[in-house]
Amino acid sequence: MLEIERSPEGAVTLAGRFDASQADRARPVFDALTGRVTVDMRELAYISSLGLGVLLQAQKRLKASGGGLRLVNVNRHIYDIFTFSGFHHVFEIERADG
Amino acid sequence: MKTSFGRSFDELPRIFEASRAFYDAESVGEGDRFAVDFAIEEIFTNMVKYQPGSQSPIEVELRREPDRLVVVLTDRDVDRFDLAEAPVPDIEAPLDKRRPGGLGLLLTRRVMTTFDYEYYDEDRRSRVTMTRELT
Repeated sequence: MLEIERSPEGAVTLAGRFDASQADRARPVFDALTGRVTVDMRELAYISSLGLGVLLQAQKRLKASGGGLRLVNVNRHIYDIFTFSGFHHVFEIERADG
Repeated sequence: MKTSFGRSFDELPRIFEASRAFYDAESVGEGDRFAVDFAIEEIFTNMVKYQPGSQSPIEVELRREPDRLVVVLTDRDVDRFDLAEAPVPDIEAPLDKRRPGGLGLLLTRRVMTTFDYEYYDEDRRSRVTMTRELT
């Protein structure tokens, strides 16, 4: 199960598992983001390719208007997936372990 | 572990519940769990998406051999669709040229050690077998 929270400052916190069964629930949240947004992944244990697709689509839309996603507190397994995907070229990413 | 699941993304929580029980019983580490779950989800969702004509459940088998995990997904009443021949996306492309399609299969082949696709004409059955060397 994926938990999605928005802080009053606009940051997004993801927790749990971002798999294909959660993508339809997450997509409207990311579609509604504007500007520069921090996505805290400290409690995110897992992401699949459909989750990566949701992030990628949001990044394309936000970058086109001068904004973008900053992915922080990324665990090493998800960081590896981001690296294998080439996401480190198109996102600002900070690992949980520095 | 060998269990069949309905052809729906909504079955993923049940699949992961079964895989977690298997990993716990076999003392599988976090990195291997992540990789194998990723591979199972990718192949399962591709079978659901690209074989809409089948009503058959999809069988997921997980077993441990001394130094590796073996994952087998079997789909029935389906046409040949060799996932091993799917187009590979350009992961070095700039953002405006990036497309999510094909990324999951590329990553699956990256995190798993071997990937084999077989198709049996006699009963219209496809089988994907993947292995991962344990870390």
